[in-house]
Amino acid sequence: MPARRKFIIMLSFLIRRIALALTTGFVVLTLVFVVVRILPGDPAQVILGDMASEESLTALRQRLGLDRSLPAQYLDFVGGALSGDWGESMVTGRPVVTEIMTVLPWTIELTVVSLLLGTAVGVPLGVWAAVNRNRAVDYAVRVVSLLGLSFPAFVSAVILLLAFAIQLRWFPVISARSGSVGAWFQSITLPALSLGLIMAAYITRVTRSAMLEVLSEDYVRTARAKGVPWPAVVRRHALRNALLPIITVVGLFLGIQIGNSVLTEIVFNRPGLGKLIVGALNQRDYTMLQGMMVIYTLIVVFVNMLTDIAYGLADPRVKLQ
Amino acid sequence: MTRSAFSAAVAFCMLAAPAVAQEPKRDLVVATSQADAGKLDPHLASAGADKGVLNWVFNALVRIRPGETSPEFIEPDLAESWTSSANGTEWTFTLRQGVECHGGYGEFTAEDAVYSIRRAANKETSAFSGDFAALDRVEAPDPYTVKVTLKTPIPSLLGLLSNYHGGLMVCGKAAEKLGADFSTHPIGTGPFEFVEYLPQQYIKLKANVAYFRGTPQLDTVTYRYIPSDATRDLAFQSGEVDMIFGRQNNQWVERTQAVPGAVVVGMEPAELNSLYLNKTVKPLDDIRVRQAIAHAIDRKLMVAFTGDKVAREAISVVPDGNLGVVDAGLFPYDPEKAKALLAEAGYPDGITLKTIQSSLPVLLKIMETLQADLKKSNITLDMQVVDHPTYMADIRKDLSQVTLYQAARFPVADVYLTQFFHSRSTVNTPGGVVNFSHCDAADAEIDAAKRELDPVKQKQLWKTAQEKIVADVCAVPFSEQLVVWAWNGALDLGYDLQGSLNLVPQLTEQTHFTK
Repeated sequence: MPARRKFIIMLSFLIRRIALALTTGFVVLTLVFVVVRILPGDPAQVILGDMASEESLTALRQRLGLDRSLPAQYLDFVGGALSGDWGESMVTGRPVVTEIMTVLPWTIELTVVSLLLGTAVGVPLGVWAAVNRNRAVDYAVRVVSLLGLSFPAFVSAVILLLAFAIQLRWFPVISARSGSVGAWFQSITLPALSLGLIMAAYITRVTRSAMLEVLSEDYVRTARAKGVPWPAVVRRHALRNALLPIITVVGLFLGIQIGNSVLTEIVFNRPGLGKLIVGALNQRDYTMLQGMMVIYTLIVVFVNMLTDIAYGLADPRVKLQ
Repeated sequence: MTRSAFSAAVAFCMLAAPAVAQEPKRDLVVATSQADAGKLDPHLASAGADKGVLNWVFNALVRIRPGETSPEFIEPDLAESWTSSANGTEWTFTLRQGVECHGGYGEFTAEDAVYSIRRAANKETSAFSGDFAALDRVEAPDPYTVKVTLKTPIPSLLGLLSNYHGGLMVCGKAAEKLGADFSTHPIGTGPFEFVEYLPQQYIKLKANVAYFRGTPQLDTVTYRYIPSDATRDLAFQSGEVDMIFGRQNNQWVERTQAVPGAVVVGMEPAELNSLYLNKTVKPLDDIRVRQAIAHAIDRKLMVAFTGDKVAREAISVVPDGNLGVVDAGLFPYDPEKAKALLAEAGYPDGITLKTIQSSLPVLLKIMETLQADLKKSNITLDMQVVDHPTYMADIRKDLSQVTLYQAARFPVADVYLTQFFHSRSTVNTPGGVVNFSHCDAADAEIDAAKRELDPVKQKQLWKTAQEKIVADVCAVPFSEQLVVWAWNGALDLGYDLQGSLNLVPQLTEQTHFTK
């Protein structure tokens, strides 16, 4: 295939993906607005507390613009979102963007570290189990990964805290630290372990089954018959071809992990998007909820796009579809 | 060195060790259950956890003595003295001189006090403007005199200007200069001044060395936001946190008391648990049905459920400890009488009542116990469990026939009686607050007590009001829950803690660690 045609195919693939992502984003903006407004509850009530009279509540609703018609509020929201102005939190009065950006790095850090940990542990374990199918190693890996899957993140978090922070005293209970590398390591280890190990369990199982499928393919037998060394067969012929389902799981997990981080953030007392969205939901902070949901959506859309592109890189057939 | 000389040196070092013993800690870490700070503006903060920390940063003209909650303990704060006119409408406060605002904003003068009171009374800048409805004007005839004029006398102007809600005094220049940023950079005159706020992590305060009552003995205070109960407990056990907000049950108290050196205190103000009965809907419009419900609730059982270390039986429709509360003669527990009353009212097979219930565990557990208790008298509670903000909105729309509500208010009977039982406060009306029962049994007494200047007569009116409300069964109060805190025993608050109106123990210039 000439290079120019290859480039055009790749470009049209990218444009299609980006257009899809933009459409998804717009639909989500609308859904977010509707969902937030459907929620029962009254932000004015939460802000002023239960001693406020109906008169003060009405005055505050006017000040927050909640007395305006829904289409007017919707136009404001979409206009603001497109121009990057997401308003101010109804509860704290601080700009939504500032609030989100203050805690976003904490969530990204936790997600990325736990993702790396999960992949670094999960892929080799899965490959190891597959090449040792039905041997003791395989059974051990399957049992351990099943245990990992069965543990909710908050349970493993509390167990980790009891063991390493209370009994051994290697790590602090409150894991939000910054400053030195040592402090960072102390702050990230337990939360990343708590999230990463669950992910490792998933990735192990997916890698194992993908590898088993590929290892039974004819071309693997041919490669072995040709005399290619077994490690090279596993690495080059089997693992590369088993990558697609693994990429899917990693991509899916990136989104799930951001959701899972809610409990991890709360138990380890780390700042993060999870805590922010739970707080906004409890307080019916419409502007903050809208901003948060848009951010979550953008992250998921972005990750899906990355996953799609990774498919294309891992398997040339994907771009032609 | 010979072995004996070495041993002597070791022994000397061991003996000398106490002489170089560590200095007591000077940095306090407190953990609250709130997830993050709300508005750190004393006139806008309505959450207990925010009000608590703001009380360490701000003063008021008068204050309730640290450790107490009753207005009987009001004493001078920024005002040294005060006088009032015979009819209680004109008040003159003389300010303490030489009080400095944090951050170099200059001396706190009458101008700041006037600015603060006007700010607290303005609905654009205050969540407590409604409390100042009787305020006519406030002036500063000279830098150390504040004159407050009321349209009509109110039961407790001093309470209104105390260190609670809208009474906290801000430094006017700082509030003007910082504008909207004031709610993240509070500037007051209190023992501790604001240093930094890290979202979802903590607020850091440092000692105000120029504090007018003397330099605080603590150097810094870190106020941490730890919403997970388990994490807060573990952080306390590991010593990372010195003082924590506790849980309102005996098991938690006993478990925390077992932590070496821990002090656990259940403090005032107790929150009153009551079941409010909407008198305007069937079958609750029949007083016999309401009386049946009152007879069907076993107060002893409800206290035993949460535990006697954190709860006590209710005695009136107003929380115990409020100025003016009396033992209002609540109905005795008698399920047989309850059934007989229901039969007499035409419901021999019992009744089913619809209730909207918060999913907050602390409230839901109470309601489930209540549900089981009422069932013994053939009263079925049909619970619709919703999340807390929905519950708060729905019960104000009259959607619940019976409403479980837990609350504490400024401890003067007038406040509770007005907000929960005066017809002006009926929910779903323009002036509505929390009168869920549509009660109007004691409007005349509540209003007359507001105007009454003789404290003895005023208390008599409040007594009559409570008895009338109990007799009309607008609500069935059953238990009161104390606020629970635990701290490291080496911490000396500097006073005897009975309670704190802001639900967080007051820190003063005297608060210190003994080791």
